[in-house]
Amino acid sequence: MIESIVSYGLAVGAVYALIGITYNVMFSASRVFSFTAGMLGMLGGVLGALFIGKLGLPTIVGFVLVLACGAVLGVITEIVAVRPVLKSIEQHLYVLSTLAFALLIQQFTAIEWGTEAQPFPRLIPISSGWFDQQFWLPLLACAATIVGLELLYRRTLVGRAFLAIAEDSYAARALGLPEQRLRLASFALAGIIGALAGFTGGEMLLAFFGNQAILSFYGFVPVALGGMGSNRGAVIGGLALGLFQQAANFLVGGIFAAVAVFVVFIAVLLLRPEGLAGAAASRRV
Amino acid sequence: MSIKRRHVLSGSAAGVASLASGFVGPAIAAPEPIKVGYLPALTGPSSSTGIGINRGTELAVNEINAAGGVNGRKIELIVRDTQSDPTKAVNGAAELTKRQKVNIVWGPLNSGESLAAVPLVARDGIPQLHPCWVDSLTDVKKYPMCFRDAPTNQQIGAAANHYVVDVLKRKKVAVVSDTTGYGTASVEAYVPMLKEKGATVVYQANIDAANPDLKPDMLRMREAGAEAIMPWSVNAGFLARICNTRGKMEWDVPIVGQTTLGSGQTKALLEKPEYWNKVYSNNFRNVCFGKDGKLPPRATEFVEKLRKAKIDMGDTLLWWIALGYDGIRLIADTVKAAGSSPEQITEYWNKLKDWPGVYGNITFTPQQHNGFQDDEVVMCEVNSLRDGAFNLAPGYAS
Repeated sequence: MIESIVSYGLAVGAVYALIGITYNVMFSASRVFSFTAGMLGMLGGVLGALFIGKLGLPTIVGFVLVLACGAVLGVITEIVAVRPVLKSIEQHLYVLSTLAFALLIQQFTAIEWGTEAQPFPRLIPISSGWFDQQFWLPLLACAATIVGLELLYRRTLVGRAFLAIAEDSYAARALGLPEQRLRLASFALAGIIGALAGFTGGEMLLAFFGNQAILSFYGFVPVALGGMGSNRGAVIGGLALGLFQQAANFLVGGIFAAVAVFVVFIAVLLLRPEGLAGAAASRRV
Repeated sequence: MSIKRRHVLSGSAAGVASLASGFVGPAIAAPEPIKVGYLPALTGPSSSTGIGINRGTELAVNEINAAGGVNGRKIELIVRDTQSDPTKAVNGAAELTKRQKVNIVWGPLNSGESLAAVPLVARDGIPQLHPCWVDSLTDVKKYPMCFRDAPTNQQIGAAANHYVVDVLKRKKVAVVSDTTGYGTASVEAYVPMLKEKGATVVYQANIDAANPDLKPDMLRMREAGAEAIMPWSVNAGFLARICNTRGKMEWDVPIVGQTTLGSGQTKALLEKPEYWNKVYSNNFRNVCFGKDGKLPPRATEFVEKLRKAKIDMGDTLLWWIALGYDGIRLIADTVKAAGSSPEQITEYWNKLKDWPGVYGNITFTPQQHNGFQDDEVVMCEVNSLRDGAFNLAPGYAS
C-alpha cells in the first residue's frame, strides 16, 4: 500500500506540479491566468501517442516534435487569446478567451483523435518494476524543469528580462525591454512545459482528450496552494496533492477521495489565502 | 379549319408513336415509396455503433429495392446524421416527421439521442422503431407507437447477474461503476436485482474514471472477499484499468459486465493480452459462436450474405450489422402484411409474435413494446472475437 501511495502519488503530483508551473510561467509574463495549461498537458499525451504510437516515429523525434507543438500552441495562445484582451486586463476577459481557446482545441482533438482513451507507447524499452518508468519519468521531468527554470532565471540575461517583466512590466518597457517578444517567448516556454507534463505522464494517464479538464483543475490546485507565481510552491503543492490524493484513494476510496482533496484545498485557502509558500500582499499607503 | 377523319387518324397515329417512343405522354403514377426516416449517428463520439448498424440498414434497403420493393413500393431511406448530438437528433426527427412526412422513423440508434427524440416523434403520431437500451424509452401509454427491437437495460443487467450467480456460482460480488449517469443508474438498478437472486454485494462504489490507479479499490474488493467483479461503464479506459490492475495483482477473479468490456478500444489499452482472460461481456445468443465454433443457422446465412456483398465485419460487431438489417426487414415485412399508415403499422406490431430476425426474435403485445426475449441476452468470452462475433461464455448450452 505504501509503495503504491508513494509511486503513484509522487508521479501524479509531478504532473500536477508541471501544469502548475505552466500556469505560473504564463502568469508571470502577462499577469494573465491562462486556462490553456490543462490543454497543453492533454495534447502532450495525445500528440506523443500520435507521433510515436501511430506514426511510428522514433521516441526522441516524437518527443522533440511534441515539445515543438507545445511551443507553437503557446505562441498561438498568446496571439489569439491573450494579446487582444491585455488592454482591458482588469475586466478579466482572458478567462473567457483562454478558456474558449482551450475548449476549441479540446473539441477538435475529440473529433480528430476520438473520445476514447488510447494507449500511450512505452517510451524506454526496459522491464517494469515497482518503480516503473511511468512513475519516475514525470518526476525526472519535474526536477529537470525546476532546475532549468532556476538556471534560466538566475544565470541568463533573457531569464532576468523575464523576471523584470514579471516584476513590473511598465518599468521593464521603460528600460527598453521588448515586452511583447518576451511575453511570446514565455508562452512558448509554458507550452513546452505543459506538453512535457502530458508526455511524461502519458503512460499513466493515457492519450485521452478528457485529461484536459482534470489537468486544468488539479494543476491549478498546486498554484493556489503554493502561491501564484511561485514555481517552488507549485512543486511542493503538486507533490503534496498527489500523495494526499493517493492516500485518500486508499483510505476512503471512490469519489470520496476527490471530495477529501477539495475539502483540504478549501481549508488551506481559508486559512492562508495567499498560499502556503506565498507572502501576504502588502500595499504602500 | 374543319376536322377530317384523315387528320384525326394521323393525329392518333402520331400520339401512339410518341407514347411508344416515350417523348410525350400522360404521366403514369409510380407506386408511392415507403418513406423511412432514419436517424443514425454516423459521425461524432457515438458513431461506432451507428456505422455498424448502418451497414446492415443499407444492405437491407438495397436488397429489398433490388427485388422490386414491398408490394411494388421502393423503400426510400431519408437519412439525417445525428452527429451523436441529441439536439441534432431532435432537429432531424422534427424534419422527418413534419416536412418529409415519413411513414416510420428508424432510430435514433443511441439512448442519449433517443431520450430527446422519442417524445417528439410520439407527439407527431409517427410509428417509431429503435434499438436503444434505456428502459424509459418505451412506454405504451406515453409513446403508444414506439417499439424497441433490442434488449432493455433491465435485460442486460439480468443476463449478467444470471451468469455470475447461476452459471459461475459466485455469491460474493463487487459492483462498481464510473461516476456517469449511466454508471450510477446501472449500479442502483442491478444491485437490488443481485440481492434478490441471493448474492451478497460485498463491495459497491462509484469510482472516478479519470483516476489512473484503481489498485486501492481493487484491494478493497479483494479484502471484502469478492468472487466476481461487475463494472458498469462504457468508458474503455476505466474498464481496461480494471483488467490491468487485476492482472498485475495476479487475482484470478472473473470480470462480468457490459459490451464495452469486449470492445477494440478496451483491448487496445490492455498491458498484456492475457489480462483479457476470464472477462465476460453481454452479447446475444443468435450472433454468438456456439460450443461447436459455429454461428446459429440464420446468422451463418447472414454472414455469407455480408461476404458476398463485400461488407466488412472485421472493424465492427456482427450484432450491430444484424440489428440494422433486422430493423429495415421488420419494417418491410410489416408494410407488406398490413400497410403503411401509422394505425396499420401499430396494430400489426401490437400482435407481432416471434418475428424471426438475425439478431433476435421479436414479439410485441399491446402492453409490451420491448420485443427482445430475455433468454437471447447472454454473456460471451471477450477474448474470442473473430469476424465481429464472440464465443458464448462457458456454461451456456449452444
